[in-house]
Amino acid sequence: MKSKNLVKIISTIVGIVIALFFVVLVVADPDQDIVAKSPLLGQPAPAIASETIDGEQFVLERRKGSWVVLNFFNSTCVPCINEHSLLVDFAKTEAINQNAAEIYTIINDDSSDAVREFFVKNGGDWPKVKDDNGAIAVAFGVARVPETWIIDPNGMVRLRITGELSPGLLSEQVNLLRDGFTS
Amino acid sequence: MKTRKSIWLAMFLLVAVLLVFGASRTGGPKTQQDRIDSITSVLACPTCSGESVFVSRAAAAESIRAEVARQVAAGLRSDEQIMSYIEQRFGGQVLLVPRATGVDSLVWALPVAALVFSMFLLVSAFVKWRGNKPTSPTSQDEQIVARALNERI
Repeated sequence: MKSKNLVKIISTIVGIVIALFFVVLVVADPDQDIVAKSPLLGQPAPAIASETIDGEQFVLERRKGSWVVLNFFNSTCVPCINEHSLLVDFAKTEAINQNAAEIYTIINDDSSDAVREFFVKNGGDWPKVKDDNGAIAVAFGVARVPETWIIDPNGMVRLRITGELSPGLLSEQVNLLRDGFTS
Repeated sequence: MKTRKSIWLAMFLLVAVLLVFGASRTGGPKTQQDRIDSITSVLACPTCSGESVFVSRAAAAESIRAEVARQVAAGLRSDEQIMSYIEQRFGGQVLLVPRATGVDSLVWALPVAALVFSMFLLVSAFVKWRGNKPTSPTSQDEQIVARALNERI
């Protein structure tokens, strides 16, 4: 009699746990936030240094004082190609802004020649930073491209956007951050 | 008989000592390549399914491998610190072996708890079965049977 009760209790508990899992599955909202999670958000940006395909030195720390947009890019990745025109538009808009954000392409697993050729063909005169051994991608935890990161003038990581940009998204986010920024 | 028991006991002790020795020995100093291999073997390739950074040829895995090699060569961080660095960048899912802290510890604790609980249930069941020995009928039982037999006749 006792063991029957025990079986009933155990099966009831298991049933309740399974039912709770279903409830969580049904009720939970899918993550629709445009800001991707990263432990780096709100933290100082990783200290990265490299050079551009034109042989210029690039040290992220020296960009303090300016808003910085890093776009991880590969010339063969379709979403990167799709969003490129949006980045070109963004760069043009920022060029006439007093507190303009600087944009940098971080080359991910691609050759300098291929990237140069792509930019000649599709526009975009901002610096393209080499990341030959993937150290910059690892420092930011970037596994897939494209990814876009925004760093504030204090050198803090403020936003991470994974995947292809939608029209106006980058300008909107940079403006929002700029408006709410106090150094 | 006593000698046989002593031999078994000695063998058991020897095996226990060897097991403890084998489990606790460090295996000597590791080379840099050994460290790179052992760290990348327990890191998951973030763009593949079920592959470690050690075996994967994906670009993300190559980058992580290069970063681990760079940090090992610099000699500034321990294996654990290098793994934490990668985990902080790519998240907990990059660890192939879950940590034994926080919610992750349930992965280790639950199977042990389930095993202990099952053993407890089994032992209680066995003890109960042992206790259910057939008993001799009481005089009341005999009367019931006799009455039933009389009614039949």
